[in-house]
Amino acid sequence: MANTVIGSSIVIDGEISGDEDLVIQGTVKGKISLKESLFVEGSGVVEADIETQNVEIGGRVTGNIVATDKVELKSDCRVVGDIKAPRILIADGASFKGNVDMDHKER
Amino acid sequence: MVQTKEVGASHTENTVIGESILINGKLTGDEDLTVRGRVEGELTLTRTLIVEPSGIVKANVAVKNAIISGVVVGNVNATESVELTREGRMVGDIHAPRVIIVDGASFRGRVDMGEVEAGRLNTERPARPVVRATTRTVAPPPKPPPPPTRVEVKAKAPVRPVPQPPAPPAAPARPASAASPAVAEIGKKKIVVKKKTK
Amino acid sequence: MAQEQIGIIGKGIIIRGNLTGGGDLVIEGRVEGQIALKNHLTIEATGKVQADIRAEELTINGEASGNIDATTKVAINANAKVAGDIKAPRVVIEDGAVFNGSVEMEVKLPDDI
Repeated sequence: MANTVIGSSIVIDGEISGDEDLVIQGTVKGKISLKESLFVEGSGVVEADIETQNVEIGGRVTGNIVATDKVELKSDCRVVGDIKAPRILIADGASFKGNVDMDHKER
Repeated sequence: MVQTKEVGASHTENTVIGESILINGKLTGDEDLTVRGRVEGELTLTRTLIVEPSGIVKANVAVKNAIISGVVVGNVNATESVELTREGRMVGDIHAPRVIIVDGASFRGRVDMGEVEAGRLNTERPARPVVRATTRTVAPPPKPPPPPTRVEVKAKAPVRPVPQPPAPPAAPARPASAASPAVAEIGKKKIVVKKKTK
Repeated sequence: MAQEQIGIIGKGIIIRGNLTGGGDLVIEGRVEGQIALKNHLTIEATGKVQADIRAEELTINGEASGNIDATTKVAINANAKVAGDIKAPRVVIEDGAVFNGSVEMEVKLPDDI
């Protein structure tokens, strides 16, 4: 049902929350908390702490990520921050700096 | 995923804030923005803001065009036009050369089309009814005004601004001129808007 | 509506002072002062009104400056020029109209705003 898209020219400085999928092609600074999936596309720049169910990152993310299901770092992405999720995928070509925590019990 | 097709179609062209989404903060951009959810804070676009019936914008807004079918609380400055559709509800001040309010829409606040006519009126009838004081306390949201100077000017204005100088420089007061063709006016309006609000 | 009574203030007429009454009224000329009307007031394209206006319904095609208080509706049509504060349950501003002032309608906002 969801299709929220933050287009490439959009810059958001603040908090985003919601119960639907979110696609980021632009820039978001602040905080993101979602109950569904977050897609940071190639043009997307996120400087925010992220709380969500799933994250798929093809762009740049600086911030800590907590996902209840899965975090996927695709090739060409650049992620700096700690990741906490039961499932974490890091593709060949992805650049990542930070800690990984796959402890299930926490969430 | 169901929405992938739609996402692809609106790629980079149109930003959509879905119904369940809440954005709190500052949003800027150079593309059209459709709000079906909620945006609070500040919203600045060089293009069109569309607030759909489910959308709520509680923000000071600076855009080129605004089409409001949902709820807007805050001041709206548009360089081109503001349209309140049948379902639109708004509390706040509108500053735009073109303002359209359709039957069924509800609105409380000031309208400033930056026309000479207002200057003339204000010199003649400087007093505004007291009623307006109550309106204004509701109208401007608590947030600080967005960067564009226009908004600032308005937001900081006293409760009863009586904003226009007696004769705005770009448009010398026309004493009781007959209804001159609207088309001719439109070209001037933008200039008037800018000058007056410096 | 008092259909049988429609008054017209013609193009050449200028009225200064108070204008009150029932019945519909069409203004094609000029009125300066105050207008209090029980029914429908129409300001035609040639009409110029500088007055506080109270009426049931107001349709403006010409020029009006002054405060407006209508019990049902105010319509500012495409070529109208209006300056003043408007209070009415329904206010319509057509594209092309010029309006400066405030509008006060009932606005039902969501509770959480």
